[in-house]
Amino acid sequence: MNGASHRLVQVPPGVQCFLGDEARRRRSIEERVVGVFEGWDYEEIIPPLFDYADVFASQALLPKTYSFVGRDGSLLALRPDFTSLLAKIAAGRLAGRPAPMRLYYSGEVLRYEPPRAGRQSELYQMGLEHLGGDPRAADAEVLAIAAECLDVLGVRGFVLALGHVGVFGGLLAGITLDPATLERLRERVEAKDAAGVREALPAGAVPAHVAEALVRMTTLSGDVTVLAEAERALASCPQARVALAELAKVAETLQLAGLGRGLTVDLSEVRGLDYYTGLVFRAYAPDLGFEVGGGGRYDTLLARFGRPMPAVGFMLGLDRLALLLERQGLAPPAPAPPAEIVTGSGLARGLERARDKRAAGIRVRFEERS
Amino acid sequence: MSLTIALSKGKLLAGSEDLFRKAGLPFPASEGRRLVVPVDGLRFLLVKDMDVPTYVEHGVADCGIAGRDVLLEMEPDVYEPVDLGFGRCRLVVARPRGAARADGASTVRVATKYPRVAAAHFLERGRSVEVVRLAGSVELAPGLGLADCIVDVVETGRTLEENGLEPVEEVAASSARLIVNRASYHARREEIAGLVSALEKARRP
Repeated sequence: MNGASHRLVQVPPGVQCFLGDEARRRRSIEERVVGVFEGWDYEEIIPPLFDYADVFASQALLPKTYSFVGRDGSLLALRPDFTSLLAKIAAGRLAGRPAPMRLYYSGEVLRYEPPRAGRQSELYQMGLEHLGGDPRAADAEVLAIAAECLDVLGVRGFVLALGHVGVFGGLLAGITLDPATLERLRERVEAKDAAGVREALPAGAVPAHVAEALVRMTTLSGDVTVLAEAERALASCPQARVALAELAKVAETLQLAGLGRGLTVDLSEVRGLDYYTGLVFRAYAPDLGFEVGGGGRYDTLLARFGRPMPAVGFMLGLDRLALLLERQGLAPPAPAPPAEIVTGSGLARGLERARDKRAAGIRVRFEERS
Repeated sequence: MSLTIALSKGKLLAGSEDLFRKAGLPFPASEGRRLVVPVDGLRFLLVKDMDVPTYVEHGVADCGIAGRDVLLEMEPDVYEPVDLGFGRCRLVVARPRGAARADGASTVRVATKYPRVAAAHFLERGRSVEVVRLAGSVELAPGLGLADCIVDVVETGRTLEENGLEPVEEVAASSARLIVNRASYHARREEIAGLVSALEKARRP
């Protein structure tokens, strides 16, 4: 029959289904990434798919969150993000466990996303959180793990772009801007739009040297030598320099540890999710137009759940990694060889033979022949 | 692999060519009909102006030249490092000359090629809005009773005038921008930096 298919086979926008090469590729990426997480002694957490809506801290994710009312009238949400859930678990269920805690997850998050580059409503994320450790050591550790994951997957030419939200925050410390202006400014800095930054600043709202530094932020990106340039550009802004010094320390540690390859600094990397308080980073690679993952430090999120402690984490998007590996020409795992066909003269006899083969570890395809 | 640059086939093409030539960069010959044109180490895509941000956001093109009006409408997740200084125009609300301000009407009916920008403009000012999306000849809409007003770009204002319209509010100023894919910016840093600095030097101050 030619024409419309059955109405029930229609797929809602934003959902995906994988099989064959795609499914094998995804499974193999997940196994390798999780192997790296385990290799650094992180413990798996399988959090719930939904929780109370107010657990999810990010204002930025709020408009993208699928929320619904539970039977008792409470507002619930399908997880749009893992970090808030893990912070809640660290502060609640794991309240008695001493810090630092190293936790990882691998699973779907759900977000309303308009159909655009590399985004679906159902995203598969693999990530980890380092909670309550020494910040400097933890920052370096998670960046080293992110680099190892990309290496293990065979990603060619990846770049880890490091920024620090405290540079932007430090420049505007003590200056009151209305929230809309602040957001507009942050967005224009993130877009590296110098003209837009100038336009977003109301006349006289910030001192001239701060305005100039905000404009300079849009061009301060490149290899680690940018840090020295930034030091000069931010010379008159002490609070921004504190953040810059933290960033320089992380970059230096990674370089000394042999992780300088692919490391770049990008001071206009200020967007991220709104709970970030320090280091932020994103991973890019040639052949994919958008980042494959990212993360950052969030030192105030745990206090929301009553157990204040510093924390840092990152995640890699499985959907994007799968696309990247395909574009870089890395073959998915080969399908398994054909199974041994087992038949029998009667159903029970055949089944018994198949079970014997299975007990011996043989892949079988059970076919009844009368 | 050479850098790929998405160009608008529309009104920004001439200005783009002037700027590239001034910067000593290659540019596709104007008479060609091909849509993918390799020239001296760069590869150009000639596409519709509203599509430039899409090609760049997806990374199919590393960079592109797009009007700010288009960027405001499409809201692509890209870098916008250079205001190229040409293609200056204004996005305005225009209504029939002499028409009473429609402040009393409960809902503003606006015809436009920029539905997102137009809706946001009125909603942010506490006005309910009904957007009539058109692909062109927007100036006709108020005279034919399709809308109370339009949101569109104006350069000289002559087209508005000829259709009995006058600008009453500015929504945004626009000019051509260099836009860069986020991953290309980092993963092909040196090539992109070279292009950015050549265009920055060539642009009018």
